[in-house]
Amino acid sequence: MRGDEGMTTVALRINGVEHSVAADGRRTLLEVLRDELGLTGAKRGCNQGVCGACTVLLDGRPVRACLSLAAACAGHEITTVEGLTEGNELTPVQQAFVEHGAVQCGFCTPGMVLTATALLKENPKPNVAEVRTALSGNLCRCSGYRKIVDAVVAAGGAR
Amino acid sequence: MSPYKNQVGQSIPKVDVREKVTGRAAYIADLSRPGMLHGAVLQSPYAHARIKGYDTSKALAVPGVRCVLTGADFTEHFMGAFIKDEGPIAIGKVRYVGEPVAVVAADDERTARRAARLIEVEYEELPAVLTPEEALAPGAPLVHEDLASYVKVFDAKFEGNAFSCTDLSEGDVDKAFAECDVVVEGTYETQAQYHLSLEPCGALAEVDANGRVHLWSANQSVFRVQANVCESLGLPMSKLHSMTPKVGAGFGNKMEAHIQPLVVALALKVQRPVKMILSREEDFEMVRARHPFKIRIRTGARKDGTLLAREVETLLDGGAYADDSPGVLGYSLLMARGPYTIPNTRCFGRVVYTNKMRFGAFRGFGNGQVAFAGEQQIDEIAHRLGIDPLEMRLRNAMRIEEPWFGGQQVNSNGLAECLEKVREKSGWGRRARPSRPGVKVGYGVAACAHISGLLATSAIVRMLEDGSFVLSTGATDIGQGSDTVLTQICADALKVTVDNVVCATPDTDGSPYNWGTTASRVTYTTGRAVAGAAEDVGRQIKEAAAKMLNCPVGDVELRDGGFIGVKGSNTTLPYAAVAGFTHWASGGPIVGSKSLIYDAPTIDPRRAVAIGLPFTRIGVFSFNALVVEVEIDEVTGKATVARAWSAVDVGKAINPRLVEGQIEGGIVQGLGFALTEEMVWDGGRLANPTLMDYKAPGAVDVPYEINSIIVEHPEPDGPFGAKGVGEISLVSVPAAVANAIFDAAGVRLHKLPMTPERVLTAMLGAD
Amino acid sequence: MTLFLEPRTVAEAVACFRDHPEARCMSGGATLVAMMNAGLADPPAVVSLRRIAELVGIAPAADGWTKIGGMTPHRVTAAETRLAGGQAIVRLAAGRIANPPVRNMGTIGGSISFSDPAADYPAALVAADAEIEVVGSGGGRRIAAQDFFVDWYTTALEPGEIVVAVHLPPAPRAAAAYEKLVKTEGDMGIATVAAVVEMDRGACSDLRVAVGACGPHPVRLRESESDLIGGRLDADAVARLASRLAEALDPVDDVRASSDYRRKVVPRMVARAIATARARAEGEQ
Repeated sequence: MRGDEGMTTVALRINGVEHSVAADGRRTLLEVLRDELGLTGAKRGCNQGVCGACTVLLDGRPVRACLSLAAACAGHEITTVEGLTEGNELTPVQQAFVEHGAVQCGFCTPGMVLTATALLKENPKPNVAEVRTALSGNLCRCSGYRKIVDAVVAAGGAR
Repeated sequence: MSPYKNQVGQSIPKVDVREKVTGRAAYIADLSRPGMLHGAVLQSPYAHARIKGYDTSKALAVPGVRCVLTGADFTEHFMGAFIKDEGPIAIGKVRYVGEPVAVVAADDERTARRAARLIEVEYEELPAVLTPEEALAPGAPLVHEDLASYVKVFDAKFEGNAFSCTDLSEGDVDKAFAECDVVVEGTYETQAQYHLSLEPCGALAEVDANGRVHLWSANQSVFRVQANVCESLGLPMSKLHSMTPKVGAGFGNKMEAHIQPLVVALALKVQRPVKMILSREEDFEMVRARHPFKIRIRTGARKDGTLLAREVETLLDGGAYADDSPGVLGYSLLMARGPYTIPNTRCFGRVVYTNKMRFGAFRGFGNGQVAFAGEQQIDEIAHRLGIDPLEMRLRNAMRIEEPWFGGQQVNSNGLAECLEKVREKSGWGRRARPSRPGVKVGYGVAACAHISGLLATSAIVRMLEDGSFVLSTGATDIGQGSDTVLTQICADALKVTVDNVVCATPDTDGSPYNWGTTASRVTYTTGRAVAGAAEDVGRQIKEAAAKMLNCPVGDVELRDGGFIGVKGSNTTLPYAAVAGFTHWASGGPIVGSKSLIYDAPTIDPRRAVAIGLPFTRIGVFSFNALVVEVEIDEVTGKATVARAWSAVDVGKAINPRLVEGQIEGGIVQGLGFALTEEMVWDGGRLANPTLMDYKAPGAVDVPYEINSIIVEHPEPDGPFGAKGVGEISLVSVPAAVANAIFDAAGVRLHKLPMTPERVLTAMLGAD
Repeated sequence: MTLFLEPRTVAEAVACFRDHPEARCMSGGATLVAMMNAGLADPPAVVSLRRIAELVGIAPAADGWTKIGGMTPHRVTAAETRLAGGQAIVRLAAGRIANPPVRNMGTIGGSISFSDPAADYPAALVAADAEIEVVGSGGGRRIAAQDFFVDWYTTALEPGEIVVAVHLPPAPRAAAAYEKLVKTEGDMGIATVAAVVEMDRGACSDLRVAVGACGPHPVRLRESESDLIGGRLDADAVARLASRLAEALDPVDDVRASSDYRRKVVPRMVARAIATARARAEGEQ
């Protein structure tokens, strides 16, 4: 138990790096990522947990950064889109998004990529239905979803 | 370098795709400047009220607050695409719940938002008009007392709260209806739809030491941003430098102004950079939305299915400011005949002010609303006459030599092929009938046309020192991929691969004028300018090469992969050599340009009468046919689309995969419009301004099997024959779904969205 | 300024609420943080239950009951195949909550403590005859699900009490069906129906039907249910129960649907839910 004055220091492990951030108890992980650490890949689309643009991985599972209090994330492994690769490399999921035309405006893309990455870890060869279900909490207003689903299925190698 | 092949027609990955999949693409909310403050807005709690006074002392007392501006700090300057009726903030009175009343700049967003809530405004509530009918009632309160004196960019017909009234007709409608064997008549209603660009609107402004304002914002046109900010704040355009970061989609909501004038006003006041990003709720409540329509429509035909006459009357809720409404009204009437030969058509419509948020441009621009009505009537007539609905459309489809309603010549028309393609691919002739217990299955078809075009555009292509190129157009890529398509057009025209051309980011200081990324126009209109500018560069390259090779210009040609060749010989020069020659020896660096404005007349006065139409030169025509397979849950009435086949005549697909992306995305946004999305007002207050309560379709709510079929009837003056695809696939969706619901359940829905409640009520009523 | 507290045991959590009576309890955070983001809640302190290991997990007990720890995420509940027979109603409902990321975050205790009548668990727990185990400074107690959901966003929890577990009675020979009508997948229900049916040689030996999202709390009519016990669940009998349920609802007009429609559609959903559960029950016999 911590937090005598409300403002505490929280140790967050993000993309394999330890960060010590000052966090009022109500500060969300999304605010810390974007405003404090300059990790702007996670987007504020609704701040209500509906759109999925802020999705990050917590211990490998997709969660809403906007609904996660930063202080509650200490001790967990947080992965953002910036942490998927180094340099200019792409992961197989990212490469599939490129090749299948799964990106339009790109605002939903980091959340989609992370959700898909987590799915493929749990289920390496998902079919169309499994991919659609896994992505059902990530809104995309541009693509009609088809090309995103195709990209994830292809990244898994199933058809 | 890989061997050159034509760049047009290839599904090349988007030029900015790596930035986007890695999360490095920077949108407005991701930008930051040293010393930057954060803005927040106070919104009106009243639909209509006089502002008696402000008390900003509590807000100013909050530590970290740097500036508060209210309507009292602004002088009256007006902006508006068609009617200049809108200031940057409410001045004197508020006209809708959610309207900006005051703004704050503070050290951080939370402080700014908290301070905004502490601003006290004294109001005197006024009677409000919340529907078009209320607004048209005799003695109704006026939303704008000064409508008559506002600057208007067209010959507007207006009266009371009706700020634009338009008539468009051809032929002798009364006589034709008398000759019809079958006449169907009905009224239809469509709802307000929220754009839901996944990125909420925002802006960042900074004033430099010279007094120039540098402005980044989520936009569909850096030039419209410049015009709107300068008009509403009374600034010379030369003082404002408008730029764009990546844009998280548009669909119409970011074409005209949102909060850019307010952010600029704050930055001018505090002389520090100010960024303001709307919350999702604010974006819902104060940007803009699709117009609710009421449509009365009558269509008549002969026994053999020949359509003879149509009459349409529309009433649009315009909301509190005119915005793009006159355009939407006029365009909806121009489209109301549909893509058919109906020699006698009469349309009349009005758009009226109400005390709601403004309604404006949204993918489809009024076409989807009238298609929902008109395309159901085509089906009804077909049903009455025992004609297959797809066959009915083929029989009445406009022929290539026929002009559009109003008289404009149509130079490419792939409608019949679109209809035939969806018939074949969907297996229309052998389509299945109800198959599972508890589920009714039906198929519906609808067809439409949509324009691409409008207004001015320009392009500059510059050859760099090493023979590669920079393309500048001023067209904002809102995610649809125009940077990629324009790069392909430029590269192909110069016979180089796309990696030899870079597309510059729009910037009013450096880019040539572009009206905007709207009206499905960038590929066609800007593409023409790019092709023209590239051709200009090609001509100059040849001239320089001829000088270098000491031969007549007529003897040299551009060759694949970036070479100049001498005709009939193997002698070649790489572009780099030409670039070096022009930069360092002779002629000077090569710069090509092309400016144009779409100029084919919409109305032929020998055929048609048009009164109060706000545009005179609209664009070229793309065509679409759509078949959907709908399943209705008999228990709940919930309709879902299981499969869809959409054929679009795009002239030429510059990048087929991006074309498919537009078709698929438009269909899904159309499915939201057809089935689930609806902005609901509780009195003057929007009751569902959150994604919790406003439901757009997710991945499992829409069919996986959306079949995009590209049809190519080249537009003679389009770049490589291309015409637009940005909006058209959405237009047919509500109508096709409604027709499929009829096919499945025998009921006709006249109101959108077609919710489980409406479908079940209709089904139980029909039993 | 908001204090953030992370007790490691239930006893510590109870102490937190004693020391900070204005504190809000956070489990997954989906609801509370969304409210804080929207300015609808600004608690001086937040007590997170996420570090209390004893609250996580699903465990069958020897007497056939199943215990679901209050901090068990929806994802785990939705995937728990040991929730079988009549208990499966809770698994089925969990699988329809929101979407996968929210199912990773949200927990059963957090969800039911919020008591949104349109959420998935209330009707399911009432149909399951679940008991809610709560602990507060006055000790622990068990509350029948039917009595737990009191009103819109109101439970039988006393201030400072937290949900530590949900207990499900055995119903090994029964089967369940969950009907949820939504605008879009993952949304709150327009109406939900949770049905548990047990058949014995063609006759109904157990029937439990609860309706959600149509009033301040789930609606279940035990007496009307008992009229069907021993019968063959013929269409007329089911229709009678369904229409009584519809009459007992207290639905509102909201942005999802009208109250009229809810009354109209619920009996139809009830009939299908019972038919589905029955088919499952008989298929498993």
